[in-house]
Amino acid sequence: MKKDVFTFIVGGKAGEGVRKAGSVAASLFAGMKRQIFNMDDYQSLIKGGHNFSVISTATREIKSHYNKADLVVALDKKSYQLHKDDLTGEGILVYNSDTLGDAEGVGVALTEEAQKYPNPNLRLGVGAVAAMAAAIGCDKECLKEAIQREYPRDIENNIAYAMTIYDLLYSQIGAKFKLEEGDKERPIISGNEAIALGAAAGGLDVYYAYPMTPSSTVLHTLASNSKDISLPTVHPENEIGVANMAIGSIFAGARTMVGSSGGGFALMEEAFSLAGMVEAPLLCYLGSRPGPSTGVPTYTSQGDLNFAIYQGHGEFPRIVASPGSMEEAFYLAAEMLDMVWRFQTPGILLTEKHLAESRMTVDIDINKAKLPEPLLHKTGEYKRYLDTDNGVSPLLFPPSNELIKWDSYEHDESGITTEDPETITRMQDKRSRKTKAIVEHLKSVHTVNVFGDKGPVIFTYGSTTLSVLEALRIGNIEATVVQPVYLEPLPFWELEKYKGNQVIVVEQSCTGQFASLLKEKIGIESKAIIKKYDGRPFDPQELALKIKGVA
Amino acid sequence: MDDLTTYAENTWCPGCGNFGLFSAFKKAVRKLEEKGIGRDRIVVSAGIGCHGKIFDYLKLSGLYSIHGRSMATVQGMKIANPDLKVVAFAGDGDAFGEGIAHMIFAAKRNADITVIVHDNSVYGLTTGQYTPTSYKGFKGPSTPRGSIEEPLNPLALMLEAGATFVARGYPVKLEHLSDIMAQAIEHEGFSFVDVLQPCVSFYNTYQKYNKLVEIMEQMPADFDQAMEVAKRTDKLPLGIIYKTQKPPFHKELYGDWNPVMKRMSKERRREKISELLQAK
Repeated sequence: MKKDVFTFIVGGKAGEGVRKAGSVAASLFAGMKRQIFNMDDYQSLIKGGHNFSVISTATREIKSHYNKADLVVALDKKSYQLHKDDLTGEGILVYNSDTLGDAEGVGVALTEEAQKYPNPNLRLGVGAVAAMAAAIGCDKECLKEAIQREYPRDIENNIAYAMTIYDLLYSQIGAKFKLEEGDKERPIISGNEAIALGAAAGGLDVYYAYPMTPSSTVLHTLASNSKDISLPTVHPENEIGVANMAIGSIFAGARTMVGSSGGGFALMEEAFSLAGMVEAPLLCYLGSRPGPSTGVPTYTSQGDLNFAIYQGHGEFPRIVASPGSMEEAFYLAAEMLDMVWRFQTPGILLTEKHLAESRMTVDIDINKAKLPEPLLHKTGEYKRYLDTDNGVSPLLFPPSNELIKWDSYEHDESGITTEDPETITRMQDKRSRKTKAIVEHLKSVHTVNVFGDKGPVIFTYGSTTLSVLEALRIGNIEATVVQPVYLEPLPFWELEKYKGNQVIVVEQSCTGQFASLLKEKIGIESKAIIKKYDGRPFDPQELALKIKGVA
Repeated sequence: MDDLTTYAENTWCPGCGNFGLFSAFKKAVRKLEEKGIGRDRIVVSAGIGCHGKIFDYLKLSGLYSIHGRSMATVQGMKIANPDLKVVAFAGDGDAFGEGIAHMIFAAKRNADITVIVHDNSVYGLTTGQYTPTSYKGFKGPSTPRGSIEEPLNPLALMLEAGATFVARGYPVKLEHLSDIMAQAIEHEGFSFVDVLQPCVSFYNTYQKYNKLVEIMEQMPADFDQAMEVAKRTDKLPLGIIYKTQKPPFHKELYGDWNPVMKRMSKERRREKISELLQAK
């Protein structure tokens, strides 16, 4: 049977190789030149609990996973109970018959077979991959290759186990789904990998971070490739150390980025304000999860929008941008590095767990990544805070015979502390003028994505854009989707034309921060706000119904 | 005004221990220049408090940081450009209150930085509160009945944390202090100089220290002896208490390289990233 979207869910306990099985399935689909979207739902624990990985695939660009699956493989009882109703009309459920008595679906003795080898629990995910391969009619050779490539440890036993499961299932589910080949093979990357590699392509010199979900994999990606791409990564004592070391590195001329999530970023707030005062081009990556406080660490949220926009005590310009896809995340990381260096003020690259950790097939042209073009001091006497027309003073780095003073106190043009009222006013004005310069520059940059040109206007941003676009497609809904990539300064020159429209806002926040921002900054009224704040991303089919309900 | 002093108006109280420290530091810079370490390569940072004003007075490049963070700031400078000699000035509140984690970790990782603590056991700029190094019973506006906490011992703490250079100086012994400072900056690895700094307005310790300090004739032979010296209270020995060699953090991180001076070319970097992307 030919299908537009094929969805595979594998669920089980943490430690059973669920996420790995999902990622292997994704690469199998990508190997068939198809496009994929992979969302991992996992809990903040290492063993036990319930994890599942969803992969939706199509021969066209696919921007979301679907909650209804064509094939569910349940490695344990809990997964069976949670996902037995998540099937499409013709969906098949394969369950681990060793963990359940009588059940609906196709039972297979995943555990019993695994016990013939060492570390049986770690092997269950391999069984899920074998079941998936059988269901889509992938032959044994293809399965064997995938196992060899993806499970380099204990290859022989893994292959033997996979073949047994494949044979046990083939008569019942073999080749039930025929998946067409797509147009070309593409890399699969997560939003965090896109940000790490995009920033690196954009000339990043050093990365500092303290681990915090969902931002940690930026650190892991850069750390594991650190030597290869000559990009040192440092994991210091805490986020305060992170941000202050970063500012020190910037002073010495290094293009530097830091990363965290809400709580860690709150610890950096003091240094964020320092960056505003000393005019340090500090690029901060903020990956959101549901708060307040510890919140729900491994799930998604857009509740940190205001936190990002209003970050830091005192008044100073900042740039906040949020990518609406993995590809955009790649280019935006490089572009934001250029932005903060161009205007010597801190910036925030804002995402949420759904973008940070979900993975999708991408087409990236590395040469489209920007490189920073800072204003540099040429000759003559140097003044760090030279009062210029647009507020941007030339940069000079040590060692130099000129005196280079960056100062957290209010200062004069040379960077010497002052309490003089005229100088205070002048320097506040100088920094504040940079906002105008940023706006002027942004007018020449692509700041707002608009998809479609008919029907109701839907405003959204960040990874929710992916959900909205997939929902419109699957629901056959005609609409104009407006996604501001830049959120501070908000591109009023692009958005003012939507004033007077009764727009629909879709966001993953409880209080509707994005809708409030549009109203406050642009005067755009929303007739409906579709919100979701349970930590889970939207399902396209459910979202399509919601949009139809308010359109 | 000399060539290491800016035009900033000096507002330390007359008689403040910071004057001696400032003079000793400038002398140290000149000593280093004689050894071929140019002042353009010496960059500084400071925290917040009376000590921090040294940043404005000193004609050297750097970043006037925030309370408790100057040790983190200079670590970042060093990581970005290891050709620089970096010095963090800090008060005892900066180093052992607000920023104690940075101090301990800088020592633990043997960051190649110098931290000079203006240790006066009182918060001067905020009018006389007790600090992490104040004696138990210290009366200040936040502890009117006397502080109820034991003080930290900065030297012992830094030794225990893994500092590879630990010293104590006293501004009244100016030449001696400047020698220690120069050696601390020359040292490859984490160097810590605790400077006994009297505060004439809120905690005048000149008489007390004049009686207690004594310049050591030689450095303690090993770590255990250094610890004994650090813990002495009958006398306050001055000089280098401990010194050893260990690879500094930045060399462990990336070897003999320099992130800003020896940046990988854009083309090479992008080639590598393309390879990584293709492997995904």
